[in-house]
Amino acid sequence: MTVRVDPEGREIAALEELAGSLAGKHVLEIGCGDGRLTWRYASSAARVLAIDPDRDLIAVAREDLPSALADRVELRATGIEELSAREASFDLAVFSWSL
Amino acid sequence: MVHALGKASSLLKPDGVLIDIHPTLELATLEVRIGGDTHRAGVVTEADGGEEYKDADAALAFTVRQGLLRIEREATFTFVTHADSLATLREHLADAWQDAVIDDVSARAIETLMTATAADKELLLRERVRMTRFRVLPTRDSSLVTRDSCEPPAWPAP
Repeated sequence: MTVRVDPEGREIAALEELAGSLAGKHVLEIGCGDGRLTWRYASSAARVLAIDPDRDLIAVAREDLPSALADRVELRATGIEELSAREASFDLAVFSWSL
Repeated sequence: MVHALGKASSLLKPDGVLIDIHPTLELATLEVRIGGDTHRAGVVTEADGGEEYKDADAALAFTVRQGLLRIEREATFTFVTHADSLATLREHLADAWQDAVIDDVSARAIETLMTATAADKELLLRERVRMTRFRVLPTRDSSLVTRDSCEPPAWPAP
């Protein structure tokens, strides 16, 4: 009983092409779900705040968060409207299948 | 959606970039791969007819018209989910895509194809997805997104 999602890596290839280099960049991912896409790009970014209003999905993401990314990825169970203007320092915002 | 775009834009640095990823309105297709051969088996429809994607397109078009964002680049790609059975795919979709509907005709076609004795077989779900890069314009002003403008009008005439 297995499912493989985008093993061809077409989504991350498109993101790398459109976003360009993420080196040194602060990324806000809106609708990160279980972190499926997050894990694929986060190692290239300086910091990632990945949010999703679904607490269950964020719990799954926290369990699956690769240890190598723990120092640069923050997972938060919240919606975009709850983010404070004090956090307005992102280089890139990604709506991940969430609009 | 318009409010979410306005809020995300307000959280970006002045030269920030916003990228949106969402499926196109093109129907997702189901195929069964048996060895080197791929057989079309049906489509996946949306219970709501894809309304949320239409709304997302309209919200993005609205923010562009309002001068909040400018489209810089766009790409479409095929997002493929591989499953070893219809039951497995249904279980996955129950979590990942709750509006997805696999009709009985498609389901029967898949089950028939999956009875092939070949060991090397799988079910493929192909979705067309659009990724768009927007530049947040310097004149951004989240007050452009007023309560009255929360419901964006339809796409402008070509």
